Amino acid sequence: MHTRFQILKMLFSLSVSGLLSLSATFLTSCRGDEVIYPTIGTHVTNEVQEGGLYVLCEGNMGSNKARLDYINLEKGDYYSNWYGAQNPRQIKELGDVGNDIQQYGGRLYMVINCSHLIEVTDLQARHIGQIEIPNCRYMAFKDDKLYVSAYVGSMASPEMLGSVFEIDTATLEIKREVKVGHQPDELCVLDDKLYVCNSGGYLTNRYDSTVSVIDLHSFTEIEKISVGLNPTRIRVDDRNHLWVCCSGMYESASQHVVILDNTATLKQMNLYASNISILGSTAYLLDGEAHTLRAFSTADFSEQPCQIDISAYEHPYGLLATEHALYVTDAKNYVSSGVLHCYDYSGREHWRAMTGDIPGHLCRVPNAYDLYPDTTKPVDVHKYLSRVYEYVPAMGQFVNELPKYENGDDEASMCRKCEKALAGNAGGLVSLGGWGGYITFGFDHAIENKDGRDIQILGNAFYMAGSTEYGSSEPGIVLVSRDENGNGVPDDRWYELKGCLYDSQTYISRTCTRASDTIHNEFHQHPYFPQWIEADSLTFTGALLPSQTVVISGQNVQRILDYGYADNKPNNDIDGTSFDISWAIDESGQPVALPSIDFVRVYCAVDETLEITGELSTEISGAVDLHY
Amino acid sequence: MIKRIFVILVFALCAHSVFAISEAELDSLAARFTIDEVSVTARALNKDVIIPQSLKGAELKRLNALNVADALRYFAGLQIKDYGGVGGIKTINVRSMGSQHTAVYYNGVQLGNAQNGQVDLGRFSLDNMEEIQLYNGQKSDIFQSAREFGAAGNVYLTTRKPYFKNNERVHVRTQMRFGSFALANPNVGVDVKLTDALSLTMDAEYVYSNGKYPFRYRRVLPSGETAYDTTAVRQNGDINAVRAELGLHHYYRTTGFWRVHAYNYWSERGIPGAIVNNVWRNGERLWDRNTFVQAQWQDEWFKRWSTRVLLKYANDYTHYKNYDERLLPSNNEYLQQEAYLSLANKVQLFNWWDMSLAYDYQYNTLARENLLLENSKEYFYRHSHWFSAATAFNVKEYLRLQASVLMTAVSQQPIANSQQPRFTPGIFLSLRPFVRSSVRPLQDLSLNAFYKQSYRYPTFNDLYYTDLGNANLRPELARQHSVELAYRTANSQRLTANDCGYEIAISASYYYNRVTDKIIAYPKGQQFRWTMLNLGTVKINGVDAKADVSLYLPLRFVLRTRLVYTYQTAIDVTNPNDTYYGHQIPYIPWHSGSFVLNLDWQSRRGDHYGLNYSFIYVGERYCQQENTIYNYVQPWYTHDLSLYGEWAVKQYGLKAYLEINNLLGQDYEVIQNYPMPKQNVRCTLAFRY
Repeated sequence: MHTRFQILKMLFSLSVSGLLSLSATFLTSCRGDEVIYPTIGTHVTNEVQEGGLYVLCEGNMGSNKARLDYINLEKGDYYSNWYGAQNPRQIKELGDVGNDIQQYGGRLYMVINCSHLIEVTDLQARHIGQIEIPNCRYMAFKDDKLYVSAYVGSMASPEMLGSVFEIDTATLEIKREVKVGHQPDELCVLDDKLYVCNSGGYLTNRYDSTVSVIDLHSFTEIEKISVGLNPTRIRVDDRNHLWVCCSGMYESASQHVVILDNTATLKQMNLYASNISILGSTAYLLDGEAHTLRAFSTADFSEQPCQIDISAYEHPYGLLATEHALYVTDAKNYVSSGVLHCYDYSGREHWRAMTGDIPGHLCRVPNAYDLYPDTTKPVDVHKYLSRVYEYVPAMGQFVNELPKYENGDDEASMCRKCEKALAGNAGGLVSLGGWGGYITFGFDHAIENKDGRDIQILGNAFYMAGSTEYGSSEPGIVLVSRDENGNGVPDDRWYELKGCLYDSQTYISRTCTRASDTIHNEFHQHPYFPQWIEADSLTFTGALLPSQTVVISGQNVQRILDYGYADNKPNNDIDGTSFDISWAIDESGQPVALPSIDFVRVYCAVDETLEITGELSTEISGAVDLHY
Repeated sequence: MIKRIFVILVFALCAHSVFAISEAELDSLAARFTIDEVSVTARALNKDVIIPQSLKGAELKRLNALNVADALRYFAGLQIKDYGGVGGIKTINVRSMGSQHTAVYYNGVQLGNAQNGQVDLGRFSLDNMEEIQLYNGQKSDIFQSAREFGAAGNVYLTTRKPYFKNNERVHVRTQMRFGSFALANPNVGVDVKLTDALSLTMDAEYVYSNGKYPFRYRRVLPSGETAYDTTAVRQNGDINAVRAELGLHHYYRTTGFWRVHAYNYWSERGIPGAIVNNVWRNGERLWDRNTFVQAQWQDEWFKRWSTRVLLKYANDYTHYKNYDERLLPSNNEYLQQEAYLSLANKVQLFNWWDMSLAYDYQYNTLARENLLLENSKEYFYRHSHWFSAATAFNVKEYLRLQASVLMTAVSQQPIANSQQPRFTPGIFLSLRPFVRSSVRPLQDLSLNAFYKQSYRYPTFNDLYYTDLGNANLRPELARQHSVELAYRTANSQRLTANDCGYEIAISASYYYNRVTDKIIAYPKGQQFRWTMLNLGTVKINGVDAKADVSLYLPLRFVLRTRLVYTYQTAIDVTNPNDTYYGHQIPYIPWHSGSFVLNLDWQSRRGDHYGLNYSFIYVGERYCQQENTIYNYVQPWYTHDLSLYGEWAVKQYGLKAYLEINNLLGQDYEVIQNYPMPKQNVRCTLAFRY
């Protein structure tokens, strides 16, 4: 995004000496207000699951970059920095190094290790309160109490023992504290006891090797179980056995997983588990060193087949097994964005999303949230788009994905898939790809041209937090047509609905070919050329809108257009997403009076590829007859 | 006398100096140069092929700068990392190659830090400094120690040299500086002429600041509405430091001299730390003692053969303790020692051809102890040998050419990291088509270029990193290519006070550097166990442009401006699969620059009054490898203003400076989460005898 402009500047400075270019720099590069970190929504999948998933990204120590991301699994929308959008006024954001996230009693609890805080929010991550605990690490819950392990207690001891704090979840007050072993990490509750892993993480090469057992009534340590060097994770399975992962001296001889029945060792497995997730009667163990994910039965500890291949990861890190999907994160080099991968249990990867730095901790929530809730409610299926006649996208990163192309699909079957995504307020999303790509749709009746706006076209545009001037806008031009010959198919004359930028539109024609489909970004390693099209090239004609992209505090956003384009304003702005048939014009730009229309066509009117988010492409998620 | 003045003028021009030379100063300068630098100014062959950036004398004093790092902000192509406050660490990075590629020389001998390879320039006071020079590539003078051919960027710090008029024996300078954040900074310097040839200099300084400066974090919503706005006071940023130096200089012939310099620095300071959510103070403390003694001897034989010997012993002690009970307890001691010997010889084969050979040896040790553990003391050793051969020749003064090759051999213990001896070449040339032109006004156009390779050897920290040592580290290689076009003109010979004159120096350079085998910290499979690997490759393209203009106006007014601009791209090209491939490396702004404006008025009696305005700009940049909005750091720029008066009565002199820094009180950070001071004031009174 910088290159072209700055190379020009460079040449300028070479030829005209420093003075001029320095002033040119100042004109363009003054310091503005420090705007809060934005929340960026990205559509990552069209596959519907239930609820949502939080991703707590740790961020590096001292960077204050703990980040809470959220994915709405029902819509497949991934939001980076979700917490920031919900709590823009939080001083110094979420904090330094996120270490644990759990939901309990309709709330979300997050451990922010180097901010010495537990952040408490509602399930939508809106701040409720916080608890200050020095060097807090992990959490466990029982009844109305929260238990937090902390590397140091309130009474620092020369032997550097850690503590577990008991917190009343109603008042968020610390009630009791108990000293445990060295640098306690994960902990879990079983019956009336708390089991705490004493890692000894500060005692390099002389780690602790015990699990402390705390009686929850007296809140005293009643026993220490010896489990092996450097125990860091502990989980309860469906048979009330405890799985303890010992990292040892970080070499394989000293690494193992111990399964405890109460305090007795049931089984010791000589393998390394850097992370663990137990679902039903299967325990998934992630070896961050060997890059393997293995499954074991909790009944007989036998190894179960697990097809998920994580060998290509740079540093496998976070893990969460849920009923329908298994999530694994790749922390990459720990100082750049990680990746969240979603698999089904057959080992197929469904989607992946780019996260913040060190995506370590995952938490499933039952509800799907939108940052900008859609106000349209289903009333009557006749109100909505019912039929897709044509779907011809130009090349793009979501083509063949939104909707999904499968072997054997042809133009008709792809239209049916579009209908499935859009018809009757289904709320799915269809991508038109790059410039020129189009969709033609209609209703089960003609739409009359009455006073005011007649038809609303839904997309996935949104404003940046707090702004109505800028946001994500991928405008498409809308054409309408009457079924003049009465044959029920859109082969009649098209009229453009004149938008606010009509005078700046240039009319062009362009061809994209299958052969040029070679550049794919990391998140879309599939063909961009529509695979169901038999021809090897596609030619589009229409208008091209000038770029509206600007950089606001380093982020690419678009200037939101005033009116007259699809996928330009958020769907809850009904006026902003609606069109008046009276805007129709003919090829010479003369207004045309249409009493009603039968077909609507939308084509992508922008041609721009941005860093990270890829090309701008109009997306359609439905259409509404405003008079019905 | 006239000839002498002319030599001085030429020298002043060539050394990029733009300060006016008063009659009184001319004498003193002449006296000094004839003693110390006469052999240097005498023949063109010895001079730098490429003239360095420099700040010296009165110009240096009048800048709003407390220490060397502050002054280096006014140089082109150079980025400073500043953690804020008087005690905050300040390191420099020349042309984006990384701070460890930059060598810093104190009176000609390199300052070392075998532990982390970086020199904190915030510790070097400007009060005792005569000149600061920045050489890209290397000092392009072949008569230097072998090690000086080694680094990619070189900063030379030269302390004040004693000079005496005929009947003077003692000079005393006392200075007191007060400022915001309880800054108290007294300074005393004494120069004594022991004999005509032998002189003694002493300099002592104390610095105290409580470092409690207010800072503000204000964030707004995209709508412009305030999201939060909070002001706090920086804690644990206090510093207590004493510096004492002793120098003995003996100029026993016009060609030969020896000098001995002893330096001692003690300090105790807090490390203010990163400001993150819920952490507004930090418990780390640092105690330092840096001691070194260095000796230099130089002479010339048979008019064609010059010899220089350097000797140095340094002993640096550091004690680090973290008092924050919430964090990993640490209490560590480090003792570094260094012994250094350099022998350099230069022979003049013909009037147009010189050759030099130099050999350097250095022995470093580091003892590290964790005071919380018993028997935790560890020792590390390193032997380094450098051998250089260099040659310089002129083609009728229009073209000057120098070439050098350096062999470096390093061996370490206890984990052996014996690498093959490595050879690094350097070629410097300068084309000056009008050098012999007698046209007035004086004009000088030069086209300079160099190519140089240099290695940055792994430091003790790289090799013996807390968790996992990596004995297989190779040195990091930097390749530099640079071309520069420089033009100077001057017409400053004024006969009456109302004549006008000017001095103009402008230059622009383009450079392309490539750093390969870059040593970076990389997680080693296990969670957060970092090791050092030769992983990175960085491609750097940059343009530096500079303009110095001095105008001598009627009524003894002088207006001087200095404008520096740098454009740099420093791109990570390690691996195309990385999300940050092709991104600008952390903390390198695309645009940076500075502007200084100085208006000086001299009264009939020779008193000076003046106003100095400076502006520093560092453009947008990113704080991590990935250039995303979440790592974006806004530009910062500060306006600094100072007023001064300098009065002389007979042999007494009085100077007063009043500085206002960050005049508009910008809330900025150079390093993310390390807030910098808002508006602050310093006041200095100096008396000299």
